[in-house]
Amino acid sequence: MTIFEAAFGFGLVSMSVIAIAAVGFTMQFGITNMINLAYGEVMVSSAYVAYSLNRAGVSIWIGMIAGGIFGAVFSFLLNRVVYAPFQRKGTSYLGMVIVSLAISLMIANILLPIVSYNSVSYAEHAGSIIRFGGVVLTVNQMIIIVLAVALMVGIHALLRYTRLGKAMRATAANPSLARNCGIPTQRVIDMVWLITGALCGVAGVVAALNSDSFAIASGGGFLITALAAAVLGGAGQPYGAMIGAVIIGLMTELTAAAWSAEYKEVVAFAILVLVMVLRPQGLLAKRGALAAAG
Amino acid sequence: MRFGSAACSLAVLLLAACGGGTGTTGSGLGSGDLLVGVLAPFSGADAGLGPAYYAACLAAAPSINNNGGVGGRQVKCQQFDTRGEPADAVPAANQMVASNSNLMAVVGCTSDEASTVAPIVDRAHIPMFCMTGQSEFNKTRLPYFHRLVPADIFDAYAMVGWALYGPSPAPFHKAALVFGNDIGSQAFVDPATNAFTKLGGQVKNFPITLGAASYRTEVASVIAYQPDVVFTEALGSAGTFLGELKTQNGGKVIPFIGTSATIDPTWFQQVSGAIGVNDLVQNYGGVDLGYDFSGPAYTEFITNLNAAASTFSDAPKYKQRGSTLHLYDGIIMTALAMVATNSKDPTVYNPKIKEIANGGSGATVVHTYKDGVDALKAGKTIRFVGAGGENNFDQYNNSQSGYILVKYNAAGDEVKVKQLTPDQTQKISQAGGI
Repeated sequence: MTIFEAAFGFGLVSMSVIAIAAVGFTMQFGITNMINLAYGEVMVSSAYVAYSLNRAGVSIWIGMIAGGIFGAVFSFLLNRVVYAPFQRKGTSYLGMVIVSLAISLMIANILLPIVSYNSVSYAEHAGSIIRFGGVVLTVNQMIIIVLAVALMVGIHALLRYTRLGKAMRATAANPSLARNCGIPTQRVIDMVWLITGALCGVAGVVAALNSDSFAIASGGGFLITALAAAVLGGAGQPYGAMIGAVIIGLMTELTAAAWSAEYKEVVAFAILVLVMVLRPQGLLAKRGALAAAG
Repeated sequence: MRFGSAACSLAVLLLAACGGGTGTTGSGLGSGDLLVGVLAPFSGADAGLGPAYYAACLAAAPSINNNGGVGGRQVKCQQFDTRGEPADAVPAANQMVASNSNLMAVVGCTSDEASTVAPIVDRAHIPMFCMTGQSEFNKTRLPYFHRLVPADIFDAYAMVGWALYGPSPAPFHKAALVFGNDIGSQAFVDPATNAFTKLGGQVKNFPITLGAASYRTEVASVIAYQPDVVFTEALGSAGTFLGELKTQNGGKVIPFIGTSATIDPTWFQQVSGAIGVNDLVQNYGGVDLGYDFSGPAYTEFITNLNAAASTFSDAPKYKQRGSTLHLYDGIIMTALAMVATNSKDPTVYNPKIKEIANGGSGATVVHTYKDGVDALKAGKTIRFVGAGGENNFDQYNNSQSGYILVKYNAAGDEVKVKQLTPDQTQKISQAGGI
């Protein structure tokens, strides 16, 4: 086994986790025009929901479903109660970013007395090790990869083949025109927050499972990787976020193997900067969010 | 009215003259509550550090307050959250200093923020007791800075001592060093590498980014190196790293030796959650300062710490935390210095802290605040030997004592397994040569 083969396998796991998070994040932005910096905290909150069930003896995979449901409901309410009223008042993009940052800090500080600052771990055995040549993965990591692929296929099918997906793309491209064409854009936006919130919740649980231990402070790290993948692929582009996740996930692990773990994030983010310089709109961005989906 | 005012003024003057009759150098201890600022991370990746220091203050305050206070003044504790980030620590320190004229001491200031906050606190002339092992403070010129724990290099030497002279399965011959890639964490690397290699061992450094979501490739590199022991600290990330190490190593844990900072309930909980309590107990070795956890000072400390649970439920968890013991002592020494100098002015009582810690010839050894005040009132000079044991400040206000080798039991309590002999310690220090 070479370290590069092993790193490639680990990169597959990392990119799977990042992809689930980044696609949800970028769809939120693409369709609702909301850069939701509280996304990482919602991920962590969902991870704790799964943790509380797991502590009660429930399988982490059922906990993951609960985390997804929690993320969906929480995100939906977040938009309805906080973001939407601000947007209706015409708050600027920058203003909305600040609002979401404030919400992020509020969630973290509300969680702190409830779950404390301590790191926690799921009571779930990693499963036996599976080898494919030099690639060594645990059963849980294989499940995460399969889950990510299934979710990406599902998102693709949703956007391309369903009425809701077409309505989402129409709303993303031009909300006023979509409304005039009879698309219930408010209901579409509600559905977007539910779906992306569910992705956020699931991403939080798999990220926590992937990390062996997690804490409130993990939210910032979760957000940064999701944000980087989303920006790299082109803000608002689900397929771009998937490609961004592949690049960041693989590059971080391969850099650690080839060079030094100290520089793995440096290299990944240097690529991000380079892409931003050469192609500021990101790898896949066309005019209008979600355009690549169709 | 004029007569009344004059009488009042006279009475105040007389009271001032009578107050705090234990010294002659100061100008009185003043009135109102005194404040100990706990300047440390209470949120962020190192959020586990601040509560240990807050617990120290909550235990020290009743030791002082229940025995007359500092000239009648009650000691209070307040948290100032640095978030473990210099950018957040600087405004927190400035706000603490600017808005609290009754600060008697500051405790905390970890390696996360000490470089930035220590000068601020020093400029305000407030004695501080910092929990940092950074070498930049080995010969600090900040007169109000105090360090009751050794610099990180001595932790590194003690870890090498574990690897070479510890109980079975030591001695180890091939070590992987797994510390954060920040400057503070990497301070362990050079002394450990020098000492271990010169004494016949092999070492390789595997720096990691603290707070990362996973360390799979780093762990694969460590396993490829085939070490028989891992030296680590990796605060906040130890659970993730060691969990992956166990998984990739086929469920077998490589023995690991932690710094004194790993003697911590938060660290224990995180790592035991990731690899299991049994594997932690069997494979962990730690180094710590030689605490007795007994005697009158410790008895008072533990009594007050348990009582502090009514205001801070986690307080009793820190019953064997070295930093909690030392900061407890630091606060009491400060209070005694104020009483000894009969002064609320830090420029007057700050130098006295070192005198009370080190003692002098003929000094009366005291273990509690009450005994210290009684001895001072009797006109004696004192040496305070507290819950954390003796202190020996050098000219740079750095104090250190010997190391012990420890393990955890299943309840997360520290268990002493061996003490390094002076010969062993000297041999390692000379080999380290830093």
